[in-house]
Parts: sequence; C-alpha cells; structure tokens
Amino acid sequence: MPWYLHLAARQLFPTGRRFPFFTIISALGVALGVALLVIVMSVMGGFAYEIRHLIVDTEGEVQVKARGPIGDYASVLALVGSVPGVAAATPYASDAVMIKFGDRPAFPMLRGLDLSSVEKVTPLDRFLIAGSLRDMDDDSVILSDQIAASIGATVGDSIEVYSPLIIEKLSADSVFLPRQVRIVGILHIGHQQLDSSTVYGTLRLAQDLYGLGSLVHGVNVRLSPGVNEDDAVARINRVLPADIRAFSWEDSFSEFLWVLNLERGMIFFLLLFIVIVAAFSVTSSLLISVVRKTREIGLLGALGGRPIHVAACFCAQGLFIGILGTVAGLALGFTALAFRNNVVLWVARVTQREEVLRRFYQFSELPSHTSASTVALIVVLTIVISTLAGLLPAWRAARLKPVEALRNE
Amino acid sequence: MNDPVLSAVGLRKHFRSGDSVLEVLRGVDLDVSAGESVSIRGESGSGKSTLLNLLAGLDSPDAGSVSWGGSTDTGASRRAAYLGMVFQSYYLVPELDAYQNVLLARRILGGLDKAAKARARSLLGEVGLLERSHHLPSQLSGGERQRVALARALMNEPRLIVADEPTGNLDERTGNEVIELLLGLCSSANAALILVTHNQAHAAKAQRSLLLTLGVLGPA
Repeated sequence: MPWYLHLAARQLFPTGRRFPFFTIISALGVALGVALLVIVMSVMGGFAYEIRHLIVDTEGEVQVKARGPIGDYASVLALVGSVPGVAAATPYASDAVMIKFGDRPAFPMLRGLDLSSVEKVTPLDRFLIAGSLRDMDDDSVILSDQIAASIGATVGDSIEVYSPLIIEKLSADSVFLPRQVRIVGILHIGHQQLDSSTVYGTLRLAQDLYGLGSLVHGVNVRLSPGVNEDDAVARINRVLPADIRAFSWEDSFSEFLWVLNLERGMIFFLLLFIVIVAAFSVTSSLLISVVRKTREIGLLGALGGRPIHVAACFCAQGLFIGILGTVAGLALGFTALAFRNNVVLWVARVTQREEVLRRFYQFSELPSHTSASTVALIVVLTIVISTLAGLLPAWRAARLKPVEALRNE
Repeated sequence: MNDPVLSAVGLRKHFRSGDSVLEVLRGVDLDVSAGESVSIRGESGSGKSTLLNLLAGLDSPDAGSVSWGGSTDTGASRRAAYLGMVFQSYYLVPELDAYQNVLLARRILGGLDKAAKARARSLLGEVGLLERSHHLPSQLSGGERQRVALARALMNEPRLIVADEPTGNLDERTGNEVIELLLGLCSSANAALILVTHNQAHAAKAQRSLLLTLGVLGPA
C-alpha cells in the first residue's frame, strides 16, 4: 500500500484507539445523509413500483385506443392476438356512473369487462375480498371496498346504477330508468384512488348503460413475460388500422410518470445536500488536522514525501470517511427500511391515527423498492463528494514547504 | 577530496524583514566525505539550522550550490534514499507506533519488503527499543523517541545523516547516550554525519568541528 494511503488510514484509525472521535463523527454525518437518501428514494421508488404494478395489473401493459369508441373490436382482438409477444387481450368500456344504495349515493367509474377474456389480462380474482368473479352476470357488479363501505352495501345487496345517458334521454323528453344490479363481490386493490372510485361490471352492462351498442372504449393487452413493452407496441401498431393505436402503460401515464420522476429527482437533489453539508464538516475537520499536523507534514517532506503524495494523504482521508459513511449509511438505511411498517404503525398507534392512516394512505403498507442503479448513484456521489471534501485540506497541505512547516511552532 | 558525500560551494542566504535584510550565510563552503562526522556549532540565530536546511535540500540558497555525491539533484525523491534527518523535536508521527515510524522512511522511499521490515526491527534492536516497538510515541520518553528517530534516519541506509540539535530537548545524561548512539550507528553504517549542536562536548566527539560565526563557516 502506498505510504500516503497507509498514513491516511492510520490517522483516521490510530493504533490503540477503539473509537477515533473525529473519524466517527465525520463518517456519521455522511452515513445519515446516505441512510436518508436510501430510505426516501426506496420509499418513493416503492410508490412508483406499486403504481406500475397496479396499472399493469388493472390495465395490462398495453392499451389499444381509438379517437372514439372502437367498432369491430373482434377484429382488433384478432389482429392484436396475432402479434408475437402478446399473451392475451380483452375489450373494455369505461365511464362515470352514479350508484345509489338506499339514500346513499357514490360517483365511481364503471368498468365493463369481457368475462371470457378479462382474467387472462387483469387478475381481478387476486383482489377479491368477498364474493366471486364467477357469480358476475349482466345484472351484477363488483364494488371496490371503500365504495361499498361509503354506501354501506355488501355482497348480496342490490344497488341502483344511473348512467350519463339519463341526462341525454331527459333532454329528448324520454325516460331512462336506473339499472338495478346485485353486488356479487367486493375487492381491495390496495390503491386508495382505485379502491375509492371503481365499480366492475360486465362489458354488456357497461355498453347498455353508455348506449354503446357493440362498441368498446378500448382493448387491454397482456404481454408474455420478458417482452419489451415498446417493441410490442411498435409491432401491434404495424398491424392495426391507422385510426386505432396501441400505447404502452408508460405512454398512457407519461405525464403522471414524469411528475413522479421529477419528484424523485428533486427529493434526491435536496437530500444530497445533507451529504454535501457532511462533506463540509469533513473539510473543516481535515483543515484543522492540516494546521495541527503542520510539523508532521514538514517531516513527510523532509523524509522525501512529494507534495502530490502529501495531498493524496488528505484526499484519501476524505475517501475513507466517504466509504465508511456510505457503508454505515447503507446498513442504517436498509435496516430502517426493513422496519419501516413497524415504525409507521407505531407512530399511527401512538398518535391514535391508525384508522386515518388506513383510509387515506395510497397503499395498505408503506412500499419500498430499491433499484440497484439508485444505490449505485448514491454510493458513487457520496464517495466522490467526500473525496472532494479532502481537496482543500490536501491543497493546503501540499503547499506547505517542509522547511517552513518544520519551523512551525 | 574524492567523491565527497556532500559538497557545498559559496552558499549565501538572506532573509528580508520589512525594509531590513539579514545576511544569514555569506558564502559557506563545506565538503563532507563518506563516513566522516562533522559538527557545526554557533550561537543562537547564527544560521546553523538555515545552513542545515540548505544542505538537506529543504531550502534553496540565494547563491552557491549543494551537491550530494557529485549530483546537484537534491529533490525529494533523492533525499529519501540519500539522506536521513534527525530533529530536536523528534517529529515522530503520533498515530504510528515506534516500528511503523521507523518503517515510514522506507514506505516513502518505496520497496517495502520483508528485508525492510527485518531492518526496521534490527535498527530498533540497535537503539535498544525492540521490546517497545509497538508503543506509540506518547508512551515513550524523550530519549526513547529520539532513538526511534535515529533508527528512522538510518532506515534507508543513507550516505549522510543530518542532525539538528538532536539533544536539545534531552537531559545531559540522555543527551550523551543519544550522541554516542548516533555516532556509533553512523560509524557502523559508514554514513557521514553533520551534527549541529550547541553542546561543545558533543561537538568535540565529531571527527571535525566547525564554527558558524557571522554567516561564515570556519574551524572551531
């Protein structure tokens, strides 16, 4: 090992001292920054990851849409189904409705599903907490749990469904009665927005309510595992007529994803300042060290040490603090992530807000998804910033002339 | 003199303080041959340490030149191999134990191997500190620290040892022991020694004694 690295390590971890105060305090500052970055970026990544799964699970990876409703959806299904990489496709119709149970109304989106193919694209069975998808027919619906709770209905109850068509009919002086349907299931997706605003029915029910006839609003497509979404979209678009286009889920939710990425970028940028502040503390400590060790620096020159190596000795101290702080920060961050739900529940329990948490949280648990690229970025940036923190002290040390440094009192 | 270990010719050095100019060295000539010991005495402020810094290549003269073994290369890399230094204040690295302090000279030179480690242990044995080789400087007395510094100065088998008041911080008995040790080690290693000291008795132990007066070096 070069002498300047050896000396840097020894100055940070002197022989016979189990807890070198300066090293631990400096590394702790860096570690806290790294831990916060890991925790926050993982939780934000978790939200994005969960949202991706929810979108894909409820919409498929690819959506096929036209400017208006699609007429001959059977041929669209056949065309899409012939594309390599497509595992399944299912048509849907979706629009706003008003539902009423007794005197309690709600205003969800009703999504009409083709029962013969929907299970191959969106695994709704997985989200059911009561009832069964098999019981669904054209006179029944499945409610998401928060809607069911808000109107006080449960499996076996009947509700009235009012479609926007009523308004059109009223203006034409005709009467369009609400549809009486049974509740055959309650589902819980785990996303507050979907759980509070979605009702599932058959495609025919939705077509009737919206006056679509045999038209549909779109086709959801499930891809085979490992198939690249953008490539699949390109292949599907090649076989579809020009007025019907396929979009990946990322295209369909591009604005939402852009906002999500912007938020992540901003949070990362802001939290990085903790590491930068910690690096300033490292700089300050190393500058004090340069002043305190002036005569030792002179000695190194007298022994034949070159200024660049003296500088490297102090830069290396910044590097070692960065590595130590990063390792400790990663350990701290991942430990905190492992116990994140316990901590959130404990805080909710202590503040007696468990119910509020359950009602308003986007997800039933605090999600976490740590991407290797984010961790790599945190590690590289932290180590680079910490090493740069040693530059100013290193420059000061390298500028000291041995003869003047040795004369220093 | 054939192949002098050190040769200084016409060394001049001045320091400026405001408008006044202090001529510290006014044309110093010095040749030191292999294995020779030379002592330099002088009053405080006579320029002994300035001269030593010039001879050790730590400072540049205003005029004149210094050469080591016929070469005027007195840069850091050559200094590590050619010259060992001993200081009044020992200048041991406080975070390194005695053994690592001795070894530091070889680390800086490069080529740290088993032989170098064995030499460091051997030198510590020669200065009587093998048992305390893993003690930190703070756990050693002044005399012991200076002995570690002697071992460090000899680590790279230099041809020249430059000692600046090596007994200045020691009591008389310990100072005598250190000087005897220094002379003995230099003699057995055939290293030349330039010893700057206030102490007349210590200076007299060198083969040649010089006196620096008013910036001029002459026989004591």
